[in-house]
Formats: sequence, structure tokens, C-alpha cells
Amino acid sequence: MADHNFQVIAVAIDEDDTKVAEFTNGITYPVLMDRQHLLTELYAISNVPSVLMIDEDDTIVQPNWNAYATDTFKDYTGIDSTEHLDAIRRWVIEGTPMMAASEAREAVGDLTEDEEQARLRFRLANHFRSAGDDANAERNFDLAAELAPHDWTIRRAMMPLRGGDPFGDEFFALAEEYNAAGRPFHGVASRSA
Amino acid sequence: MDKPLAVLTDGPLLDAATLTTELGWTLKPEGLCQDEVCVLVPDRAALEREGQLDLRVFAQLLDRPIVVDEPTNVVALGAPRQARRDALDLRAPDFTLPDLEGTEHSLADHRSKKKLLVAFSSW
Repeated sequence: MADHNFQVIAVAIDEDDTKVAEFTNGITYPVLMDRQHLLTELYAISNVPSVLMIDEDDTIVQPNWNAYATDTFKDYTGIDSTEHLDAIRRWVIEGTPMMAASEAREAVGDLTEDEEQARLRFRLANHFRSAGDDANAERNFDLAAELAPHDWTIRRAMMPLRGGDPFGDEFFALAEEYNAAGRPFHGVASRSA
Repeated sequence: MDKPLAVLTDGPLLDAATLTTELGWTLKPEGLCQDEVCVLVPDRAALEREGQLDLRVFAQLLDRPIVVDEPTNVVALGAPRQARRDALDLRAPDFTLPDLEGTEHSLADHRSKKKLLVAFSSW
């Protein structure tokens, strides 16, 4: 769709260059490293994937959409990528956005003060982790988790940084907590197929 | 240039030169300034005491979140809240981030194009 004046920009909310590089084989659009999770603050992102459609004059026409470009996680999420890709094509080629601006404006919601503070605590934890100060790293990771217990960019993102497995038991326990809390998400959730 | 996020290890008080090198802001008679933009400082005495600037007051003036980690005195400073208000009002905040080779890219590099911004992760 490049001939339609269209650009994909991927941003990894991630600290691990090597793991991100595994995703980028054959990809020609920019893949950026957001090691400090800047976008989770600027755009109130609370989980990935979060996909945004931004038009020619930098207006957000589709905010924080939990959309998938592939069916990699379909078995787990029950989400089919076809309708997502169709919606993106309709916007790029025909200029038809998925939702009215008034709906888009309502969809995301601001970060709470606790969610803001959690992002700062997460960065502090990472700072201490990089400096080899595990005690202060752990203390700040714990504070971040308490402040934003249902934010995946905090809770799941910290798993590998603390020696855990983001695809293991910890993940499933967090998913249960999250479901019990009513699946809070800053953005437009996907319908399961 | 502006640094939207910062971790500072020397506590919440710093001198004017460090404010400029670390955060890109300079205290001038007209206020806190960055490039051509200045923010008024209504209570100068609160910001500047004995030659030291208080980052907590700085954060308040620029409407940025801040946390001082008490046991270590390390400070984390977040992005201006105005950026998120812009996003909530459907104006996409600009950002600059490096790719895996270290080349910096901005959203603004692609003005006048339709953009699909995909936030993903390996976790």
C-alpha cells in the first residue's frame, strides 16, 4: 500500500534489542526501540499490540486499537486478523475511518496518577537493574506493579527483566487477575471471533 | 533539544548548567526556556534556592510527572502531560526514537502521509 502515501511505523515497547530483532526479518518499514516506554506515557498505552491510525495532518483517526496484523496469537486470543487488515485497507485506500471522531475521543481515557507514577517507577527499576543494583530495582518494580496492577506494559514487561517468563505461569496468573478486573484497557478492544 | 524522559541520580536539586545539559532547559530572566519557547516562572524563589534548582518545582511548572525515590535520591521525570492531552484530543504527539541501528526517527518525518503506528513487544 506504499503507493497510497502510507507508512507503517513499528515501535517496540521493549528493552531487549536481540529479541526485537527476531521480529524484524524481511521488514522494510522502520522498527523503533522504545526502551523507556515513552509511548505508553504519550499515548496512554496499557497493552500491546496497540495500533493507531494517524492521518496526513497528524490527527488520530483510530486510537490504541488492540489489532493484530497476523494470526500468530489467534488460538489464544480468538481474534482474527482479517477484519483488522480489511479495516486498515479501507482507511488507506478509500479514506474511511473505523469510527467517528467523537467515539475515538472517548475510547482511550487518560492515565490515572497511579498509572503515571507506575511508569516512572518502572523506569527507575530499569535504571537500577542496568546499574546492577538488584535490591533497588526489585523494590521499584514492586512499587510499579502495585500502582498499575492491570497494565501489561508494566506487569508483563517487567517479567523478563526480573528473570521471569512472560509466556509462562506468571503470565497466565496475570491474565486471570486481569480478566477478574474486567479487562481494563486504554483503547479500543478487539472483538473475539 | 528536549528530553521527554529523564532519570537523574543526584537528587531533586541541581545547578542551572545541569538543567541545560540533562534536560535541555535554561533559566533566563523571562522564564524557563527551550529554543524559542519560554515558560513563565511565577515564583522564582520556589524554583531557585541558593543557586540550586528544584526539579519538583520544575516538573510542576512544565506539568510533567516526577518521582523522587526516597532511599536513593534518584529522580525520574516523565513527559509533559500536554502531549497526552493532545493525544486524547486526537492530535498525535510527536516522538523521536532510534531504530535497531541507532538511527533516529520521528513521527513528524512522515507528515502528509497516513501512518499506522504499531506498538508491539517481545514480551
